[in-house]
Amino acid sequence: MSHIHINLEHVSYSYEKSVPILKDISFVAHENDSIGLIGANGVGKSTLLKLLVGLNTDYEGSIRVEEMPVVKEMLPKIREKIGYVFQDSDSQLFMSTVYDDVAFAPRNYGLSEAEVEKRVCRALEMIHIEHLREKHIYKMSGGEKKMASIATILAMTPDIILMDEPSIALDPRNRRNLIHILNEFEHLKIIASHDLDMILETCSRVILMANGEIIRDGDTREILSDRELLEENGLELPLCMQRI
Amino acid sequence: MDTIAERDQWVNHIHPLVKLVLTVAYIAACVSFSKYDLTGILRMGIYLIVVFILGDISFRDSLRRLRIVLPLVCFVGLFNPFFDREPYLQIGSLVITTGVISMVTLMIKGIYSVLAAYLLIATTSIEKICYALRLIHVPAILVTQILLTYRYVSVLLEEANRIMQAYALRAPNQKGVHFKVWGTLAGQLLLRSMDRANEVYESMTLRGYRGEFYYAAKEPCKGKDYLYLFVWLAVFALLIVI
Repeated sequence: MSHIHINLEHVSYSYEKSVPILKDISFVAHENDSIGLIGANGVGKSTLLKLLVGLNTDYEGSIRVEEMPVVKEMLPKIREKIGYVFQDSDSQLFMSTVYDDVAFAPRNYGLSEAEVEKRVCRALEMIHIEHLREKHIYKMSGGEKKMASIATILAMTPDIILMDEPSIALDPRNRRNLIHILNEFEHLKIIASHDLDMILETCSRVILMANGEIIRDGDTREILSDRELLEENGLELPLCMQRI
Repeated sequence: MDTIAERDQWVNHIHPLVKLVLTVAYIAACVSFSKYDLTGILRMGIYLIVVFILGDISFRDSLRRLRIVLPLVCFVGLFNPFFDREPYLQIGSLVITTGVISMVTLMIKGIYSVLAAYLLIATTSIEKICYALRLIHVPAILVTQILLTYRYVSVLLEEANRIMQAYALRAPNQKGVHFKVWGTLAGQLLLRSMDRANEVYESMTLRGYRGEFYYAAKEPCKGKDYLYLFVWLAVFALLIVI
């Protein structure tokens, strides 16, 4: 059995007490898992991802990342291991140029400027956006920003990648590029998305959520080919499985 | 501005701390002139002229960019001629009062100060200016505010523009925004800005931010930087003395 990276036991969470967002969520993710988190709008996918990186810590139950409990004291150590891509790239990219943004995390972790440069170049190469290195963020298109925000987390060389709607704002070529990158990443990745075709190509396991609960957790092909299950939960078959 | 600041001009490669110190020293020197010392303050223009030339910066573009700020600066001394009516100079029948002189001097001081600050940001990227500010121990929180404000002004303007466009598309016969919805629109913008600020902070903490922002690569001052600094400080001292 491979090493357990993430372990959730009976996790519940609500922003306001009367409206629970997540209810009794339990699952285990191993080091090489690629998990697609799917469900209709507002079922708690983004909230769940945020709990995993400790952006909200007042949850009930237990969350452990690499055997460390997700509590305030452990957050710096946990966050060194996790790369989190936000849904909105403008929130992720806060420096003026791509280089400075990608270099932000390595600099914060005290690496030498030579090592920072190496990390940045490697991350940009992986995403094939070396040409954007000195470009100003405010002059970039939505797709370019999304690719740059993925590069910012790759420069951290994380053990776990969490992505919230990564294919949003990408044109077909960049989307294909993203799929390649995700497939090349050998560590644990959890991708929350409505792009079921991308999930089909990148994830071996799917967690289907509805009303803050896990409805089904299993093999991607099995779940994504179950038309009835998907439609009951506000989704549709992936486009590649639909008869035209 | 960023594009100008990143050009390969000699003055752009001077250490940011040197340019920051010189700008502050220049503004302090300008302010130190007496309010009737018109020729003295005019001589201080030499620094601006040299930096405009060294940086190959268009004076016309600069005036265009500063077209809102400069009139406000000029407004400062506008009332001096009414309060200070002592005759200073007479040319034929035209009497120039000390009030007029002090007004012009004040205006020039203001314009010079704005232009000096403009030249600093036209020859130095915002990250480098922030790096220089940290070197002189300006509090990290203040410097981070400057950097993030600079970065997010464009995002805020885009959001304001989106709100205005959405409004205009559903209010085709209106000119501008009806005063009844000013509060709602401003509130929307404020709420969006707060959400954005929260997400940006989350993004920073997820990438190791612990209160100290690392803006740019550290670089030591070199011989040419010291030379540039001391030559200009000497020139300023000379211009004040003579």
